[in-house]
Amino acid sequence: MAITKWKNKNTFDPWADFDALQSEINKLFNYDRSQRQTGLFDRNFTPAVDVVENDNECTITFEMTGMNKDDIELSVVSNVLTIKGVKKSNTENKNGRYYRKESWEGNFQRSLSLPQGLDNEKISAQLENGFLSIYIPKKEESKNKQITIEVK
Amino acid sequence: MKERKELESKKKIQAVCDIYHNEESVVMTLEMPGVTKDSLDIKVDKNKLIIYGKRTNHPVNGDYLIREILDSDFYQEFTIDDTIDVENINAKIDNGIVTVTLGIKETAKARTIEIQTR
Repeated sequence: MAITKWKNKNTFDPWADFDALQSEINKLFNYDRSQRQTGLFDRNFTPAVDVVENDNECTITFEMTGMNKDDIELSVVSNVLTIKGVKKSNTENKNGRYYRKESWEGNFQRSLSLPQGLDNEKISAQLENGFLSIYIPKKEESKNKQITIEVK
Repeated sequence: MKERKELESKKKIQAVCDIYHNEESVVMTLEMPGVTKDSLDIKVDKNKLIIYGKRTNHPVNGDYLIREILDSDFYQEFTIDDTIDVENINAKIDNGIVTVTLGIKETAKARTIEIQTR
């Protein structure tokens, strides 16, 4: 629109509140309530994960800050890796008062479907510096092999 | 040169932080995954407590299928007031959790006053 009607902002507009209400309701419809990157059985809080694949193995890294070996339970059932665990409170004694609390505690569960061709029998896991690394080697037959064909 | 550029462009984020106090001290726990004892730097500058943790993620060789873990350092500044005993600050790191214990000065602690009867 090239020319708009000049509107003095100081004059009282009886419809201003209705405009605000309309935009609020429009916002409500646009609001996306679904969570991103979470599955059916995931809780609100899930540890962040990296999955890296190369020719020989697949490495899965979970961010498990402050968790012990006993708190984590790993299982693989037909190509789906499930991690369950309990995150305990970082502070041990509860005699004081919190100024600020940003950390969460509680149970979590997360399932990941693994890429094809992994050897589920040879999984190794390691917990270090707050990271849980899971190494799954690939099956010999699914590795990329270079075959040279002699031409006669 | 390429490495240097990567270092400079690394983002700094604030770690998840709990602050909690009891009669003896103020205890801060910060979640810093990937930070080790050597890559953590805590210093007090006048009335500022500066916590800087350099994160070392696992070396990656391969392609990411999922990437959610951030690759940024942790940097936070806190102001401390004169009730904190600057000489009495301890820090420890265990499995990615940094616990900083700030002692409260004797003069700022709660005292019980004996009441004498005459």
